[in-house]
Amino acid sequence: MPTQLTIVLMMLAALSVSASEIHAPAQVTAGTAITIRTSGSGDAMFYLVGPASASKSKVQARSDIPVDSDQLEHAGRYVAVLCASDGCTATNFFVKPAAANKLSFLVHPSRIPVSSSGGISAVAIVDDSFRNIVLQPSPVTFSVMAKNEKPVSAARTSENGVAWVRLSSAKKEGPTRLGAAIGHADEIRVVQQVAADACNLRIKASRGKRGFLIETDPVHDCAGNSVPDGTVVSFTASDAAGKTTVDVPIKRGVAKIEMPIEGQAKITVASGVVTGNELEVAGGQ
Amino acid sequence: MKALRYASLLIVAASLLLGVVAYHLRATADDELPRVQLNADNIGPRPIEDLTSKSVPRDYALAWQTLEQALEENRTGLLDGYFTGFAKQDFTQRINSQLKSELRTRYTDRGHKLEALFYSPSGDVMELRDRAQLDMQILDGGKVIYDEPVNAEFTVLMTPGADRWLVRQIQAIGGEKP
Repeated sequence: MPTQLTIVLMMLAALSVSASEIHAPAQVTAGTAITIRTSGSGDAMFYLVGPASASKSKVQARSDIPVDSDQLEHAGRYVAVLCASDGCTATNFFVKPAAANKLSFLVHPSRIPVSSSGGISAVAIVDDSFRNIVLQPSPVTFSVMAKNEKPVSAARTSENGVAWVRLSSAKKEGPTRLGAAIGHADEIRVVQQVAADACNLRIKASRGKRGFLIETDPVHDCAGNSVPDGTVVSFTASDAAGKTTVDVPIKRGVAKIEMPIEGQAKITVASGVVTGNELEVAGGQ
Repeated sequence: MKALRYASLLIVAASLLLGVVAYHLRATADDELPRVQLNADNIGPRPIEDLTSKSVPRDYALAWQTLEQALEENRTGLLDGYFTGFAKQDFTQRINSQLKSELRTRYTDRGHKLEALFYSPSGDVMELRDRAQLDMQILDGGKVIYDEPVNAEFTVLMTPGADRWLVRQIQAIGGEKP
């Protein structure tokens, strides 16, 4: 009986000596080289599977396996496996993001009417150099750099890797630059501010070859910005025969159309929800 | 007359059998879609729309379904449907290196608990936390070299596409053996 017990113990001891083992650091910072320690003996195959990579290489068990920094740039869970003659053994470790020094900057919309309160959404996602999301709170500075105006900035601290701010558009049309910065890194987006809805829309009529030429005054918003060409203006003529509406895009600042009119007619103008003045004309007069 | 009766009976039986088979196949396909539960109680600053609260978990489940298939069969094309940006780029890189090393990854999906954390004011990006239960196997050729259940935690960024939500970035932030 003691002999058998000794044999069993010796076998267990032999097994424990030859069994392969693999050890990796519990946590690694993205872009840092590490060494994975192995034990055992003989030829073995080493595997490393991460979020954006999978590799295998022949190694000697009981050696230190170097893993280059470029193999560990993606934050996430990595699995290291060592397969030797006695089977496979594995370990896993986490690569955490490096320090915050980049931003993904999302600005919406790219065109906005002037004087739109809180109409611009600016979202900054805080990344490290390898584009991993940095979840630790980090200070982000948002800024608005309108033409011929002093830059305005606002500081926010990221939460779960995201900082955001709502901005209002300026009163003057034209491009404005929006920036987000973290440390020495910054991102710039340009938002085109366009005139708001037309204001004081006015039309005049004159006789044309085939009826009346109806024309708007130069179309502006309430702040005096020119409403962009292509904006649709609707002319409606109401007479004894009924109602006729024609949509016309603004060209070179004005919208015009020639309408054939028989007898008495009332002409109105509108652009979006804005209505203008009303004209009464009589055909044949 | 007798032959006609037998033929009719045979057609009815065949139809029933086909119906049962079709029902079974559909049930199997439904079973394959990972279970995803969304909790949007703490979302902000934009409140989640009814339709979005249904489409995000549906599309996230479909994203995982296609990802699991893509990683097991090493087919990058499967990522086109529900991935974009860094997520698509990273998984494409992973599949290409799996192909090079003759490796495959097999996931058995045991469900995801999604928590919506952030929905941008303009609705163009949503950040979520996913607590997933997965069984992960790594195969070299046909040989399983790693097999372990994992309780994983991911930070996920999703962005709306033309007709669906797409996974733009997914990053494991924690995980352990259950």
